[in-house]
Amino acid sequence: MTVRTVLMIFTVAMILVSGGLFMRRLATLIRVMKGARPAQRTDRLGARVQSVVEHVLLHRRMFRITYSGLLHYLIFSGFVVLLIDIVETVGEIFFPGFTVGRVLAPLVDIWVLLVALGILMALYNRLVIRPARFHGSDEKDAYLILGLIAAIIVGIVIHDSFFPFVAREVLHVADPVARSHFLGWALSRVWLRLGWTGPTAASIGYAVGYVMDMGVVLAFLAYLPYSKHFHIFAAVPNIFLRNLGPKGALLAQPPEDTMAIRTFNDFTWKDLLDLYTCTECGRCQAVCPAHAAGQPLSPKMVILKLRDALNEQLAAKTVGNADTPPIAGQVISQDELWACTTCGACQEACPVFIEHVPKIVGLRAALLEDGDIEANAQKVLVAWDRQGNSFGQPARKRPAWAKGLDVPIKDARKEPVDWLWFVGDFAALDPRVQRLSQLIARLLHQAGVDFGILYEGEVNAGNEALRIGEYGLFETLAQKNIQALNQAQYQRIFTTDPHSLNALKNEYQKLGFHREVRHYTEAFLELIETGRLTVRPLSMRATYHDPCYLGRWNGIVEAPRRLLERLGVELVEMPRHGVQSFCCGAGGGRIWMEETNITDRPANQRIREAMTLPDVHYFVVACPKDVSMFSASVTAMGVENALRVVDMAELLAVAVGLETAEDAALISS
Amino acid sequence: MKIAVLMKDVPDLVEDLEVEDGALPLDEMSFVPSEWDDQALEEALLIKEEDGADVTAVAVDTGDVDTMLYTALAKGVDRAVKIVGDFSRSLTNRQRAQLLARYCQNERFDLILTGVQAIDDLDGQIAGLVAGLMGIGHASVVRDVHVAQDRVRFVQEYSGGKMAEFDLACPALLGIQAARKPPRYVTIAKVRQVQKSAEIDEVEDSVGETPVVTVRRLYKPESGGHAEMWGDDVETVANHIVAILEEKKLLRG
Ligand code: SF4
Ligand code: SF4
Repeated sequence: MTVRTVLMIFTVAMILVSGGLFMRRLATLIRVMKGARPAQRTDRLGARVQSVVEHVLLHRRMFRITYSGLLHYLIFSGFVVLLIDIVETVGEIFFPGFTVGRVLAPLVDIWVLLVALGILMALYNRLVIRPARFHGSDEKDAYLILGLIAAIIVGIVIHDSFFPFVAREVLHVADPVARSHFLGWALSRVWLRLGWTGPTAASIGYAVGYVMDMGVVLAFLAYLPYSKHFHIFAAVPNIFLRNLGPKGALLAQPPEDTMAIRTFNDFTWKDLLDLYTCTECGRCQAVCPAHAAGQPLSPKMVILKLRDALNEQLAAKTVGNADTPPIAGQVISQDELWACTTCGACQEACPVFIEHVPKIVGLRAALLEDGDIEANAQKVLVAWDRQGNSFGQPARKRPAWAKGLDVPIKDARKEPVDWLWFVGDFAALDPRVQRLSQLIARLLHQAGVDFGILYEGEVNAGNEALRIGEYGLFETLAQKNIQALNQAQYQRIFTTDPHSLNALKNEYQKLGFHREVRHYTEAFLELIETGRLTVRPLSMRATYHDPCYLGRWNGIVEAPRRLLERLGVELVEMPRHGVQSFCCGAGGGRIWMEETNITDRPANQRIREAMTLPDVHYFVVACPKDVSMFSASVTAMGVENALRVVDMAELLAVAVGLETAEDAALISS
Repeated sequence: MKIAVLMKDVPDLVEDLEVEDGALPLDEMSFVPSEWDDQALEEALLIKEEDGADVTAVAVDTGDVDTMLYTALAKGVDRAVKIVGDFSRSLTNRQRAQLLARYCQNERFDLILTGVQAIDDLDGQIAGLVAGLMGIGHASVVRDVHVAQDRVRFVQEYSGGKMAEFDLACPALLGIQAARKPPRYVTIAKVRQVQKSAEIDEVEDSVGETPVVTVRRLYKPESGGHAEMWGDDVETVANHIVAILEEKKLLRG
């Protein structure tokens, strides 16, 4: 038997075995995905293709960490060039005389060098730089995979180096590309010197290289679906099938029965695909405020624990059984689930577009159905149900902030208004924020805007109720608001609260409310740009904190910045800004929960981040919850003199000349 | 074990209560389940989970008690019973106790739990009255209730943290101070679903003759020789408190 016959048998056998194993695993995964809840993810083909180009071919999110992006790009590009090598290697054995030509052949060698560089960079990353985000990942798997890739590229050079001799001595064909494989050619000079060029020596040498290359490639095929490197196959479809609907909508459709996730059948099929796509890169963990605060939550570990639990159930054939250990509370602990602020930083960071938040909230809903919820948050749920606000204040008190104000505020339920203002719980009821609401009213009045509010007709928008996992309560609150909104006559609607904005804009659609809703920074920018409000520039330096529900979930990052510019504020950005802003820690119901396990409050971390900026003494916010979170931090940290938290409304008030003595300090400083 | 939980709703104290013509405008007020009854309900559900029991939630229909009973069903009681008749919100404790005792007597419960008190029953009369009318064992201000065969065991706590454990033969009635765990949350969806699928049993009855205490007048404390009244204004009261703390050197500037 010649080396050709041996390798042909080897190749066919490997393809059958590996391909079989691969297909079997794939069939299992497809079966479990078919048993899961539906999700519509095949609309808008153009946008989907575009996102694949951006995030696969161009690695846009990957390059947010330049070093890792580059090393991954080197290795990733290798997989594309690997195809040339596979075609060539299989071709030259099965169809003697086959070549890929002098143009493609040297590409393989160039690629070998690039991948080798990528592997070295990856080793340096894992052994020397050791980013904390890898903590908890399966590092052994990572090394194994790097080793296998190294074996492939070494194998390629080895078989290329022996091929000229095999071609001449065994296959009796020409090897026109021998010199094009410049690495193999160089190595073949060594064999010449050693005299390993005869039929036997060359055959053995070639076979070793072939097995290291093709053997490992095919073994890879069998191993991949069981390893994190399944992302090599899953990443492209996962990015293609990403959520293109309104980002801020937690659920695209009202849940059929319940949104609670109890078994793996209660996830959507896309959620399950997410689990197998995770690369364990830990980028999500690195940006998670709960993780940074010392809480037990890591979005990466949520995905990995879910994947491992699903794998166990797949092996035991118990997927969907109600008597498997509960996912919520056991696979993922209660503490992990309640720690999430639903800030979305994890989803924004994930290079393969895994969606953590809907999974976490679905699991919260399961806890809630069993009556398990943190005591303070429970009080708030009850208060929303009874009084319609988180403060447990009588509904009648909601518009109390508007009483005794020198500007009239219309009741939009009773008379038509141009602008309807959805105030939100904090702006209406938190004494620290009420003052800002009064400023907004006076500013609107100054601009001559015909505006009104819903008075007692407004209740909490339900954004947080939904994110705590209480869909029924969200729906009740939303329906009350929608009823009041339908009664009112107005041209446009805006809100001072990003959380309300998110609910009105993204979550109410599924209940039939489809109006364009704006944030007050957008509204006031328009008033200034159209000349309805004249401002005297402030000339001050400040930094700006993007609220998660404004920036990340709704992409409103430009308007506040342009507004600051109009107000004459020189903006100094914090390292984390825009859609990559860092959460204050209040979202997802966290603001009401006990701060157990928290070693370093996210809001304090954020204030420290701002304090690293040179000559910045103002921290501008545009969310009522931020006013209370960051003011508390600044006070607790005792840095009131170094950094002052100001709301956009205060800057506006000073700039248009509504300033009070206290606010006037803003310009003089 | 057959357990009954006696429940009622009380004015929601979140709303400011206004006295009109010497009485509360009961028809205009909003009502919520009495928090101590919620504790009794939770304790009953915990006993059920621990040892198995058949739990009935009972309320006198003095207005809208349906939501409260459906919520109890959603939380896991086996049955909800509403005693219906011509009852007004101003039903006295004596009358309420009579109705509850009559119903419970017929049903032969082994154990009856209710809140130790309510904001409109600060002396905690209901528990004692019902037990007295039924002629069964009774203890109040208790917690940590466990059942074993035909007996019930529970704890009473006294000032200074002293505790006493008791044992009582069934049938018995206990006024619950607090459940072992905070009352569970029940989702709106679950209550709605129960409203569609479950029914509240109705039992008819009417109030009998009972002695009635009438309110002559309601009034605020009158300032006597030793008291200084600060009034209702938050600012003024706060200033007074600050002044006193400063005077006693309890405040550091
Ligand atoms: S949403 Fe925010 S808090 Fe929740 S897991 Fe993701 S990064 Fe962490
Ligand atoms: S979920 Fe995404 S960001 Fe997080 S570890 Fe997995 S691939 Fe990386």
